[in-house]
Amino acid sequence: MAFNYDNYLRVEKMPTLWCWGCGDGVILKAFIRAVEKIGWEKDDVCIVSGIGCSGRFSSYVDFNTVHTTHGRTIAFATGIKLANPDKHVVCVAGDGDGLAIGGNHTIHGCRRNIDMTMILINNFIYGLTNSQTSPTTPQGMWTVSQKAGNIDPTFDACELAIAAGASFVGRETVNSPKRMEKLMLQAMEHRGFSFLDIQSNCHINLGRKNKMQSAMQNLNWIDDITVSKKKYDAMSPEEQLNLFPTGILKQDKEVREYCDMYEDIKKVHQGERKKITQDDFAKKI
Amino acid sequence: MSATREIISSGNELAAIASVDAGCMFFGGYPLTPSSEVMHVISDLLPKIGGAAIQMEDEIAGVAAAIGAGMSGVRTLTATSGPGISLKAENLGLAQMCEVPLVVINVMRGGPSTGLPTRVSQGDVAQAKNPSHGDYKSITVCAGNLAECYTETVRAFNLADRFMQPVFVLLDETIGHMHAKAEIPTVEAVKAGIVPRKTFDGPADEYLPYGVEQDQPAVLNPMFTGYRYHYTGLHHDASGFPTEEIETCRKLIDRLFQKVEKYQDEIESNEEYMVDDADILIIGYGSASLAIKEAINILRKEGIKVGMFRPITLWPSPETRMHELGQKFDKVLSVELNQGQYLEEIQRSMGRLDINKLTKTNGRPFSPSDIIQKVKEL
Amino acid sequence: MAAMTAPENTPVWVNTARCKACDICVDACPAGVLSMQQEPTSTLGAMISVIAPDSCIGCNECELTCPDFAIYVATKKEFKFAKLTSSSKSRQEAIENNGYRLPEDYKEAN
Repeated sequence: MAFNYDNYLRVEKMPTLWCWGCGDGVILKAFIRAVEKIGWEKDDVCIVSGIGCSGRFSSYVDFNTVHTTHGRTIAFATGIKLANPDKHVVCVAGDGDGLAIGGNHTIHGCRRNIDMTMILINNFIYGLTNSQTSPTTPQGMWTVSQKAGNIDPTFDACELAIAAGASFVGRETVNSPKRMEKLMLQAMEHRGFSFLDIQSNCHINLGRKNKMQSAMQNLNWIDDITVSKKKYDAMSPEEQLNLFPTGILKQDKEVREYCDMYEDIKKVHQGERKKITQDDFAKKI
Repeated sequence: MSATREIISSGNELAAIASVDAGCMFFGGYPLTPSSEVMHVISDLLPKIGGAAIQMEDEIAGVAAAIGAGMSGVRTLTATSGPGISLKAENLGLAQMCEVPLVVINVMRGGPSTGLPTRVSQGDVAQAKNPSHGDYKSITVCAGNLAECYTETVRAFNLADRFMQPVFVLLDETIGHMHAKAEIPTVEAVKAGIVPRKTFDGPADEYLPYGVEQDQPAVLNPMFTGYRYHYTGLHHDASGFPTEEIETCRKLIDRLFQKVEKYQDEIESNEEYMVDDADILIIGYGSASLAIKEAINILRKEGIKVGMFRPITLWPSPETRMHELGQKFDKVLSVELNQGQYLEEIQRSMGRLDINKLTKTNGRPFSPSDIIQKVKEL
Repeated sequence: MAAMTAPENTPVWVNTARCKACDICVDACPAGVLSMQQEPTSTLGAMISVIAPDSCIGCNECELTCPDFAIYVATKKEFKFAKLTSSSKSRQEAIENNGYRLPEDYKEAN
């Protein structure tokens, strides 16, 4: 099917400024297909992005778009969503934006479980600013800020999101555009905070001095470090050490969404219900 | 029917009430002494009318959420003190660059750093002029009495929508926590005076949010209404899309200044207290002006003719009027609860370095006798 | 459905204004339909070219993996796609082994 992406693009701004072969474009395509499938009206959608190559995502799509300050994507999005709870808000940010400077806001977006989808484009490096270490850059790789070799440990963004309270957490890679599209669709359909770790290639910055300077080499590396959740769960810890599970990693449809809970607050102040107490919650701590 | 009403309240509470009366529908913030009461009060007022208030995880997120709501089209507020403005600085710059209306209440306390959290200062005046990096024009108003905590907040919302940028409302710990009777406009009077932001109602494909005349603010339609455009903190073209084009960039920054500078008369607001026949001029603002007035009254009884010029809009400063006064008065005394932040602006406006100063930075308010003593030394 | 009609009798077509010659589509194709060609004025001095449209099996991998919205595939209603043959696979292998370009002296196998 020749999907008419141009319907959703600011075509006069094409071609994108991303490098040749950059996964950002593949993610953008999958996202557009997911929006078409879910049937959202363009006017009802707001894309909020951060600083970085992935931050330019918002400028290319024909929605209500916001390019914010570094790391604050989810904070801005929270204001937009809470002021317009029936509209659709999607955040796009990189591994630096979402996990380093923006780590705190990611944690609290997950904790609040506010209804939005956070697409974390994880290319394991700071791409736009040329190869500085990010919280997901593997130890031992070359980065421009640690040319002797990166000693900074990494953490698993999905495990962080799960612990912080996101009610939908998943991971896919740019190697699987159709699975990525399906995961995005499920994330967007889910009412609550959906966190997606989308692994992508930055062969120009990460790959260049780490033996994967072509897009294919970088993409093959991503293939090597990911495996389906089903296979992952059956592995030993030694086997799991250097693999990321992909697919839906958590989905909780019972936990209440933030804007829904805020409607209760409105009702309390408008005299339509009694005050909210601990009895209203199963979790009392 | 009267256009005013009497209310017994505190400065912080009045600022919150004023915001809601002026049409504010969103608050994003974080607790910080001595401003927290603004958040506490508005957290109850907003949901009652269908608005939303949220305490975010930090100061930065607080203003980010407020700006996000403002970008989506609603009147929006954040409230904090000095340390919070420091944290918010980067996003305040974004709001300037994107031309998002926002009211920022700063209830000033002793600084710098953690300073004196529960005590008064006017130490954030210079900061209000340039909290963020780069070039932009600040609009800052300062409440000089309890009623102005209400009226200046209302004015700030209208200024923010008129000039499409953040507007600072400076209170301080004294006036924020002062609890007394104030005469303020009725809600009807406030509602009648609301001038919302301009919007474009032509065809969507002809809409250029930043494609305006060089002395005009951006025309930013609310989100989700059929006009889709891009916000970015990067230099941008008429559609909001990032650009580095030489002329576009030059004109953008010029316009951020011209849109304010050309309409100084809509922004400037001063009080002149017994200036006409005075021999000595005191310049002061905020809660310090209350002690100044009292001091003037006492000095006048002793036959010493003192007057006070009180800027209510601090930035852009009333430089022309101050310059005139500088020609008229030999003895000028700047009185402020900081090390001389507005003093520099007075010196600049008057073209004089011989301005006398009375400063105080130990967290205590001026007593009239402080000022009386200083005047007598002149 | 945001659909784009294919040009007549065309399985796959490209928008050369957008292609950045990243090689991904050429790598993704199983059937040797695509090759990079020298194009001095373009990014990386190369440009995508559809060299064997009749071999296209309509798998859509090129379109799904292109980051630049530069390549499109017709629907099965618009074009009768081929089956994957061993000669297609051989051509693809030769292309991949030659830096994603069809060797100049390539002879089609049968």
